[in-house]
Amino acid sequence: MKTLAMAVLLACLGTPAGYTQETPDSDATSKLVAMEHMWSQAFVLKDSKALEKILDDAFVNVESDGKVITKADVLAEIRASAVLQVVTESMLVRVHGDTAIVTGVVLIKGVERGKPFAQRERFVDTWIYKNGQWVTIAGLITPIGQ
Amino acid sequence: MKKTGLMLIMMCAFSLSASTQEGSEGGAATVIRALEREWVVAQSRNDNRALDLIFDDSLVYVEYGNLVSKGDYLLRIKSAGPQLSQIVMEPMTVRTFGSTAIVVGTYSERDVQNRKPRLRRWRFIDTWVYEKGGWKLVAAAAAPLTESRTTAPVQSAGRP
Repeated sequence: MKTLAMAVLLACLGTPAGYTQETPDSDATSKLVAMEHMWSQAFVLKDSKALEKILDDAFVNVESDGKVITKADVLAEIRASAVLQVVTESMLVRVHGDTAIVTGVVLIKGVERGKPFAQRERFVDTWIYKNGQWVTIAGLITPIGQ
Repeated sequence: MKKTGLMLIMMCAFSLSASTQEGSEGGAATVIRALEREWVVAQSRNDNRALDLIFDDSLVYVEYGNLVSKGDYLLRIKSAGPQLSQIVMEPMTVRTFGSTAIVVGTYSERDVQNRKPRLRRWRFIDTWVYEKGGWKLVAAAAAPLTESRTTAPVQSAGRP
């Protein structure tokens, strides 16, 4: 019984709640989930080097105010980011060969002009498999239930 | 989202959309622009059959910050009555990456809320994938455009 309980626990740990795998290509799905987490971590830690690898050179992102930013913008602005924590609440991965769509909900927390904020947003990211690794080419983030 | 509430479509706006193309990817970009037009026309006619062909079965569609499935989307179009909003498409860019294409553009939406006319502008990103001999829409999402960047509470700088 103890062994079974441990096995169930390990299985649960391996598949975090809220992460839906919609594709038989579970290897790609788990890689993409990991890449999304790396991206969040790199953003919070202001790790330009990691972002360089995650974002394709042609990357564009639509921000929650509708502004389009490029990879160069991300790298230039990362130092001034007010975000301290990104909590991924759910994630859905859909793989189409060498293309993948990842969508989910994140809670973004930080401090801006001395005031703490917490904002829940929905994101949609497009990834492509290029030169042996997944890189993101586009993203959009928007407030939930406008 | 850009096509959910339209009754009247300003087709003239489409002429603007041909203004930007990726150099060597012009052929695919032209096809994708045509599909974007088809989508708008099909929606305006509540033509679910055409929409079914344009959308991939696993379409990820985000409207007003909510995730909508292809089934839900088509069901709503099927049951939609006369609608009062007006969508005007603005210039869009198409970038292709092999069998993947990204379309970025804007549109304005005019409707009436509490008997008052309302104008909202949106920026959208659509993702198309070439599969089984044709391009299919696999993801679409839009964010409201605000007048000034300072009005946005948080800049995510590309990170969800």
